[in-house]
Amino acid sequence: MFIRRLPKFEYHTPSTVREAIAIAGKHNGDAKFIAGGTDLLLAMKKREIMPAHLVSLNGIGELRYLTVLANGKPSEEAGGLKIGALTTLAQLLASDAVKKDYAPLWDAVDVMASAQIRSLATIGGNLCSAVPSADTAPPLLAMDASIEIVNHSGKRTIPLNEFFNGPRQTTLGHKEILTHILIPKMDSSSGGCYLKLMRRNAMDLALVAVAVCLKLDETKKVCKEARIALGAVAPTPIRVPEAEAMLAGKKIDEMQITEAAKIAGMQCHPISDIRATLEYRCSMVEVLTKRAIERTLQRIQA
Amino acid sequence: MSMKKELKVVGKSVERTDARPKVTGKARYAADLVAPGMLYGKLLRSPFAHAKIVSIDTSKAKALPGVLGVITGRDFPGVPFGTRPDTRDTLPMPITKVHHFGEGVAAVAAVDEDTAEEALDLIKVEYEELPVVLTAEDALKPDAPLVNEFMKSNICYTSDFLFGDVEKGFKEADYVREETFSSQRVTVGFVEPHACLAEVDNSGRILLQGSKQSPYITWRHMCRALDIPLSDMRIVNPFVGGAFSGKHDPMDVDFAAVKLAQVTGRPVKIVLNYDEVLAAYRQRNAMNATIRLGLKKDGRISALYAENILEGGPISGIGPFNIYYFGAFLNIPYKIPAIEYHGKLVYGNRAPCGTVRGQEIVLAQFCLDSILHMAGEDLGIDPVDIRRINAVTDNWTCANGIKCDVSGLPECIDKMAAKIGWKESRVNKSVGRGIGFSCASHPSGPRLGGHFGSAVVIKLMEEGKVIVTHGGTEIGQGANTVFCQMAAEELGIPYEDVMQGASDSDTTIFDSGMFGDRCTYWDGNATIAAARDLKKQLAEIIAPELKAMPEEIEFADYRVFVRDNPERGMDFQRAVRRAYYEKGAPLYGRGYWAATDIDLVDWKTGKGNLAHGLDFIATGIELEVDRQTGKVSLLRCVHGDDAGQPINPAMLEGQVNGGSAHMTGHCLWEESLYDEKGRALNYTWRDYKQPTAVDVPEYFVEHVHTYDPYGPFGAKGAGEASSCSTLAAIANGIYDAVGVRIKDLPITPEKILATLNERKRDEQGGSTGFASGGADEAQ
Amino acid sequence: MKRDITLKVNGIKYNLNIETHRTLVEVLRETLGLTGTKKSCNEGECGTCTVLIDNKPAASCLVLAVEAQGREIITIEGLAEGTKLHPLQEAFVKHMAIQCGFCTPGMVMAAKAFLDENPSPTAAEIRKAISGNLCRCTGYQQIVDAVMAASAALRGEA
Ligand SMILES: Cc1cc2nc3c(=O)[nH]c(=O)nc-3n(C[C@H](O)[C@H](O)[C@H](O)COP(=O)(O)OP(=O)(O)OC[C@H]3O[C@@H](n4cnc5c(N)ncnc54)[C@H](O)[C@@H]3O)c2cc1C
Ligand code: FES
Ligand code: FES
Repeated sequence: MFIRRLPKFEYHTPSTVREAIAIAGKHNGDAKFIAGGTDLLLAMKKREIMPAHLVSLNGIGELRYLTVLANGKPSEEAGGLKIGALTTLAQLLASDAVKKDYAPLWDAVDVMASAQIRSLATIGGNLCSAVPSADTAPPLLAMDASIEIVNHSGKRTIPLNEFFNGPRQTTLGHKEILTHILIPKMDSSSGGCYLKLMRRNAMDLALVAVAVCLKLDETKKVCKEARIALGAVAPTPIRVPEAEAMLAGKKIDEMQITEAAKIAGMQCHPISDIRATLEYRCSMVEVLTKRAIERTLQRIQA
Repeated sequence: MSMKKELKVVGKSVERTDARPKVTGKARYAADLVAPGMLYGKLLRSPFAHAKIVSIDTSKAKALPGVLGVITGRDFPGVPFGTRPDTRDTLPMPITKVHHFGEGVAAVAAVDEDTAEEALDLIKVEYEELPVVLTAEDALKPDAPLVNEFMKSNICYTSDFLFGDVEKGFKEADYVREETFSSQRVTVGFVEPHACLAEVDNSGRILLQGSKQSPYITWRHMCRALDIPLSDMRIVNPFVGGAFSGKHDPMDVDFAAVKLAQVTGRPVKIVLNYDEVLAAYRQRNAMNATIRLGLKKDGRISALYAENILEGGPISGIGPFNIYYFGAFLNIPYKIPAIEYHGKLVYGNRAPCGTVRGQEIVLAQFCLDSILHMAGEDLGIDPVDIRRINAVTDNWTCANGIKCDVSGLPECIDKMAAKIGWKESRVNKSVGRGIGFSCASHPSGPRLGGHFGSAVVIKLMEEGKVIVTHGGTEIGQGANTVFCQMAAEELGIPYEDVMQGASDSDTTIFDSGMFGDRCTYWDGNATIAAARDLKKQLAEIIAPELKAMPEEIEFADYRVFVRDNPERGMDFQRAVRRAYYEKGAPLYGRGYWAATDIDLVDWKTGKGNLAHGLDFIATGIELEVDRQTGKVSLLRCVHGDDAGQPINPAMLEGQVNGGSAHMTGHCLWEESLYDEKGRALNYTWRDYKQPTAVDVPEYFVEHVHTYDPYGPFGAKGAGEASSCSTLAAIANGIYDAVGVRIKDLPITPEKILATLNERKRDEQGGSTGFASGGADEAQ
Repeated sequence: MKRDITLKVNGIKYNLNIETHRTLVEVLRETLGLTGTKKSCNEGECGTCTVLIDNKPAASCLVLAVEAQGREIITIEGLAEGTKLHPLQEAFVKHMAIQCGFCTPGMVMAAKAFLDENPSPTAAEIRKAISGNLCRCTGYQQIVDAVMAASAALRGEA
């Protein structure tokens, strides 16, 4: 019922991903990885979970990096951004590359938690916690990010789209580690943004959040691709293909934007809770989607 | 007090006495204290809002290694306490039933916190759930379950009064308007959770060091409920991390620590986690009020009628004052010739209420200044003008007998309106922007009962420095600093030579506590009296040497001299040495003060001049409403503030700004929520949001200097008025911005948007709605 | 389940044998007696427990003490040099940015980390930087003023 001190656990400090997976494997189901701990430790203090073993990922150097991929590398031809799962929100916020070329993610990190949380919290932890309001999820979905997951037998790369199963549920197994996130590069005719509505102006979870990414043609008038992702309005962060379809392949005007926003508002399926009602959330999806599209266009056309 | 002279220390923004220890982390708060052999206490809390306690089995917990004591309500004498003799309705810990979610039902003391927490899980409590009373409406139903076992009904206290000819006032009014208003449950919100350390000495005497706002109140109530004489307990205050009226009375935490210390013979410390505070401790009463206001065509108020029900949780606390205050302070800051009031305080099964910064004037003012704005608009009178027309002026006696000697309110209104740019704002009013106003008045410490008084002792030390010890409490508002300034001024010595004594019931003297803006005024006057007493004693020792009569001796600029012949004198320190070394006389100046020339409140009629030194404020807030999300951004806030002679202007500004910022949350989104069974829903700070630095406006304070004839150096109390004027200023500002009038707090974006949408539907505008451009981005 | 760790706090190395489930704030306050760092919510929301870890602000209630091993920890006690206050502390004193003082240590530490990164901030940036620190007393205005003044002092402009 009330927040308590941490329950007891055994603490492990592997120095490689392999080792970490091995330790988790040994304590089948009774071990948890700890990254920044900002979600995990709180859940333990509330006795929502009481793992007997904590396996720290913090000693694993290979998970904390931020690399802008150059074009032409054999495996990652298109270039892009590779973010180690243990990269903190503070590191992302401080990155010029993220701010300039992956703006939706930067927008999100900028309105997440507080400085004293951002320097602890990791992007991997945010995704793995998989709460519907996780702020990094919509921008990553809108930017078509994929993630790499490693287990004892190997690794797999999946689109982030296929990661979330439900509130606090992912496809990740107990003994699997999210190692990094890969965001494809956006060209100069592409752009995006992330808007988050909160009760307070800071330190609050999203009531509603919208990420938009658009790719325009050379004239910067016709939309070639559109991706819209929503947070806090469904059991998982979601894409809204029906709204995207309103924009893709069309010359974008006021009417198109309004229609796409309206559809987004209809496609979400939020709940009413102590923070906002279902009706309010739906209408705010509409408002924010419209603004996010407009802001994105401004950014690309600027 | 009497004539104005040039001030050397008073009126200057000198450094706070406690600034350095606080900014370096050296200040010790209750949770920081340790004692040899100390144990750690924890409370087991009720999961139900209302349930019979069938049995409590503590045997397993007692058997846990490391647990040294387990107690329940049965370990106390069963003597209830309460603020008034007719409202003794509170036990240290419950015996027969629990009254609200999170109420402490048992407590353990163990060698460490982990063990104490583990022990809680081993206590078995059998409950039998009872139907709950949540709202005032529930409480007043004929078949409502009885909330408090010491009372015969759910009506805890009533306050009714009639002043002037109300009937005539309404008959002669050109305009009458009636509106209903409501306000939600909000937490007090100090940042330091309740904490204390209790010890028992060899003789059985208790020492309690806790985070208490009014140690005197805690001490008296505790001794009554523990059934011991006052001399068997000593209470010492460490630094207190904010209180805002949420730490007056003793809590189960305090009682449990004392009892566990008695049972185990070891010091016991209990420190709450903040979620416990949000779930189970003091909140502001929920309000349902109806106000009817009559005005003449020219905007003058002719009569007011008000009904109000406060729901205050399962115990009365200081609730009886609250219900009286609401009505009493409808009498001011506007001139209202006739007023009728019917107030009820009822019990319920939500968390207990005390009051919060500004007391229930905050709620009364929300109603009054909201309805005044509406009336002004209908009568075609500018919102600044309508306040100016009705503002209380010098030598005004309110209908209920409150006498205002000096009012800076008209000037406060003028200065505030000029600074916020009201006239200019009307020229090019931008969409979604607005400015709202409210005024308020707050007394400088009411005289509510026989125990009301303040006393100060000033000890003169050998080297010429002094220690000021008073019974008011430093809870962050700056009381210590203010008294040291006053003592320095009166003694003619540097501020740096005045030290602050500890707040300790063994040495600190009788004082009814720290609330209602009373400390500066009451303890301030007592400080002056103590300083004069000290000077008199010193003058008697020095006068012969200066060949003068003691009455001719003056103290200034660190000298003691003959008034009409300033050359004939000596250095202050030398005078002190004379007293100490030649006469062997350690000197203590003693002073006390109570506003004995005003009336004790007559609780039956509500009549009386209950306080001197009414301070005034006029507040203007500029804000912006996002018409698509309903979100309100507070931009700028200007307070015109009359606190008489400001003792420490910068510190005063901090009080004014803080009081106002506090209420921004109350106005816009803070709310303690409960489910249908009375279980708290949002009792962590993740879910219960208090304003952060990016949520409050930029603040400006315009000081309006007046001189209060009874106040120390002409000062009035200060700090709480801005809490009282903030709710209506925001509500009126929202109306000015988007024409939406919300009368049930909090004014959430959802409520604003619903009204806007309703209107849009009524107007059935063709284009699909969203006014683009100009509207701000959601962040 | 204890571990031997070395914690470096305010330049001093402490060799400790502590249980792995101890948070950093607990070890600072209860083991090392550094009670200047406060604790209120224990869930990262209030900022009173803010310390610097490798010069970055951190909510010490959400950090395992064992994870702070080998890193540079600075608490409010480590800011002043003897009786000489840090310019931020001086500014808090001078601008009356302190009332009850319970938020003050965390507020000062958050502001310190922020000014280290952004020596010439705007008022809006300052507000954002301290938005993880709750204060119920002051209304934040004088805190913002103090941080602004301190930034000027640290730049050598005042
Ligand atoms: C005060 C406060 C404010 C917050 N505000 C926000 C906010 O505004 N927006 C928001 O989205 N969130 C917010 N959060 C939530 C939280 O900070 C983020 O979700 C954070 O990013 C989690 O990362 P972490 O490194 O702390 O995760 P941890 O707590 O360490 O881990 C979370 C979960 O993920 C698992 N995990 C972590 N990393 C991996 C990995 N690489 N591979 C496999 N499993 C892994 C852990 O086992 C655990 O189950 C807030 C939290 C607090 C305390
Ligand atoms: S105690 Fe750590 S943030 Fe509140
Ligand atoms: S000074 Fe009291 S909480 Fe900030």
